[in-house]
Amino acid sequence: MTLSATDRVTRRGRHLWRTPEFTLGVIVATGFLALAFATGGNLLSAGTLEAFFRFLAVPIVIGLSQMVVLAVGQMNLSVGALTGFCAMAAAWLMIEAGFPAPVAVPAALLLGLVAGLINGALVVLTRINGFIVTLATMTIIQGLRYGVNGPDTYQGYSEGLRAFGRASILGLPAVFLVAIAVAVAVALFFSRTVTGRQLLASGGSPFAARLSGISNDRSVIIAHGLSGLLAGVAAVITVSASGSVNATIGDDLLLPSFAAPIIGGVALTGGMVSVAGTVLAAFLVRLVDVMQAQFGINPRWVDLIIGAVVLGAVLLGTIRQRVRERST
Amino acid sequence: MLVAENLVKTFPGVRALDGATLTLQPGTVHALLGENGAGKSTLVKLLTGVYRPDGGRITLDGGELHLGGPLDAQRAGIGVVHQERNLIPAFSVAENIVLHHLPGRAGWLDRARMRAEARRCLDLLEVDLDPDTPVARLSVAQGQLVEIAKALSLDNKVLLLDEPTASLTGDEADRLYTVVRRLRDSGHAVVLVSHKLEEVFAVADTVTVLRDGRSVAEAEPLAGFTQGQIVDLMVGRAFASIELAERTVGEQAPPALRLDGVSTALGHRDVSLAVRPGEILGLYGLVGAGRSELAKAVLGLERITAGTVEVHGEPARIRNVGEALRRHRIGYVTEDRKDEGLFLEQPVTRNIAVTVWRRLARAGLVPDRRERALAETYVERLGIRVSSPRQLAGQLSGGNQQKVSLAKWLAADCDILIVDEPTVGIDVRTKAAFHELIAGLAAQGLALLLISSDLPEVVVLADRIAVMSDLRVVGELDNDHDYPRMSQQIIRLVHAETHVEGRVSAA
Repeated sequence: MTLSATDRVTRRGRHLWRTPEFTLGVIVATGFLALAFATGGNLLSAGTLEAFFRFLAVPIVIGLSQMVVLAVGQMNLSVGALTGFCAMAAAWLMIEAGFPAPVAVPAALLLGLVAGLINGALVVLTRINGFIVTLATMTIIQGLRYGVNGPDTYQGYSEGLRAFGRASILGLPAVFLVAIAVAVAVALFFSRTVTGRQLLASGGSPFAARLSGISNDRSVIIAHGLSGLLAGVAAVITVSASGSVNATIGDDLLLPSFAAPIIGGVALTGGMVSVAGTVLAAFLVRLVDVMQAQFGINPRWVDLIIGAVVLGAVLLGTIRQRVRERST
Repeated sequence: MLVAENLVKTFPGVRALDGATLTLQPGTVHALLGENGAGKSTLVKLLTGVYRPDGGRITLDGGELHLGGPLDAQRAGIGVVHQERNLIPAFSVAENIVLHHLPGRAGWLDRARMRAEARRCLDLLEVDLDPDTPVARLSVAQGQLVEIAKALSLDNKVLLLDEPTASLTGDEADRLYTVVRRLRDSGHAVVLVSHKLEEVFAVADTVTVLRDGRSVAEAEPLAGFTQGQIVDLMVGRAFASIELAERTVGEQAPPALRLDGVSTALGHRDVSLAVRPGEILGLYGLVGAGRSELAKAVLGLERITAGTVEVHGEPARIRNVGEALRRHRIGYVTEDRKDEGLFLEQPVTRNIAVTVWRRLARAGLVPDRRERALAETYVERLGIRVSSPRQLAGQLSGGNQQKVSLAKWLAADCDILIVDEPTVGIDVRTKAAFHELIAGLAAQGLALLLISSDLPEVVVLADRIAVMSDLRVVGELDNDHDYPRMSQQIIRLVHAETHVEGRVSAA
């Protein structure tokens, strides 16, 4: 009934290399080395490597933002638009309203959180499918995002914030470290906190969750709120790392937001998350981006490749599921 | 003739089948018996292409069958009614019955032919159902009959019925077995998997008994056995009668749970019940009498429109399960363990600890170690068979899943427990263990409301028995555990009501 310590170790050990995350890690490492080799080591030069990680921060956070709603069996189509809106709002606060960065940053996070909570509340109160609700709020938020400054660009805001965006600690960009810290926090949230577990319970089996005294409505609202908060984090990273923002920010984030968790092995049906998988998949998508830049491939091809990889990952997940069902 | 020879099927950590053999002659009803976990369902799934065998072979009239999927089994003429429901709720009865071979004319669905075919199958069963009714509006029993009609619609030579009467009333079961006999007489081979030995002896000709994945009796004439001998074969030892814990009911204490004149939005009228600490109140009734729904109303999942609920003498207004659990310490072990009782994709540890994460948490974080220690306590106490507490709940056998489903309420320190059909689909030996467990909980002072359609179970366990019919309590009896007399009284209560009021059509 209880396993001896050695049993447990071999069990863990055997399981580690059989996990999808391990496979993904090997693919990412191989891809990275291959690309470094193909570019004649250019990828490994200090500047290129730093840029690589700097622009990995947003895809990681936005992937996690989608992952937390997938955990409860929901979707959030508004993550990209919300990131853009929060970024514009932060820039507006600093430039037009004259607030310092220490005010603008928490305000942007709060805005994301509130928008996410509204998404969740709408889903719960109307009982309309989350896909439809966030499709609608996405359009509304896109309008608000444009409303902040029309087609114009904000630049020249807080020097301190931009310095943070450029800063590196031990050769790794500060914003990337922020993204990793966020990922660790999200992983801890799902594996260790009561609320995180309740979210997974609601996503895995809403009936059983309800009969265990868990409120599924609460889970949905929290997941959406968290998703919005993470979109706010992505906005702050964007504002600090890019030095200027306009109303197109976030337009290209919707596909990556789904790509990371789906390639990372997160179930669309809810109840199961993989932070490591999501982070590694964001890395993989970033590799495709860099490949495009290095070899001057038409950017349209990048979308095609990522779209194909997402489809392949879903297919692979389905096959894996089927194999497992056959053998259990 | 369908022959399965030396079938082997291994799952992680379990050898579900270890050389099982089944020989099926046309024109017979063949009972496939065994305890839960003996490999019956696995064998059924191998014969219907759901799983592929790791060893052995399946032949039909001498030719080897390679069943790559359920469709291959259908083509070979093997039909099945699985234990789980496989109907599409939004589709009509007729659409569900002919789903495998929807009749078309130039690509358009031929509704008239579809209806006629469905009607033919329903007539075979002598079931009076409108083919146009959506399945979602049927009762569980009616849905089961539709499943059987669906398996008949394929004109199969071999029909496998996995616990077909688990949710049927006596009359419905009789009607089903009339059809089974008719199918046998027309040359079909029928495999019947059932826990109800009386039924098996009434209808089956031959029997195969599985134990630990092996056939311990192979296609032998059933007439050569007594029920006791079959049970001995199944459990591998003489079946010991259960010994229930001695207990005293606190007569002086106020009832732990009392319902007074309760009516609900679902149509329950004037329901009054009371259960004291240390007492087991049996709640007997036919499927559809409204017992589970009453339990859910107590938990705040259905609206109570009149009457009062008292917990330990205090009026209680329970709005949701969280309140029932945390404020009033009422637990509900659901009858539907797969959908409502467990998180199949999560480990046993989390399934047990789900109700008490808050209590285990330190500064909002739940330490794995504490969760595991808690789970191990109950794995030990209830004798749950797992390869590791980290094993996924979905990988356990039915009886062990049920224990996990119960464990989470014990972990939550409930002192009022509503147990809904605790032994449905559970084998003889585990059933006895469950009965000892339930009596033991009452002996510890828990108040138990035992919802059950299993008459012997109610008579063995309960101190008093309330009988429900058509959303009302039609009578309450003191139980003297004299089975013949008690069962007669109970059945008379159920049927008296049925005859006076007439049965409300569930459709």
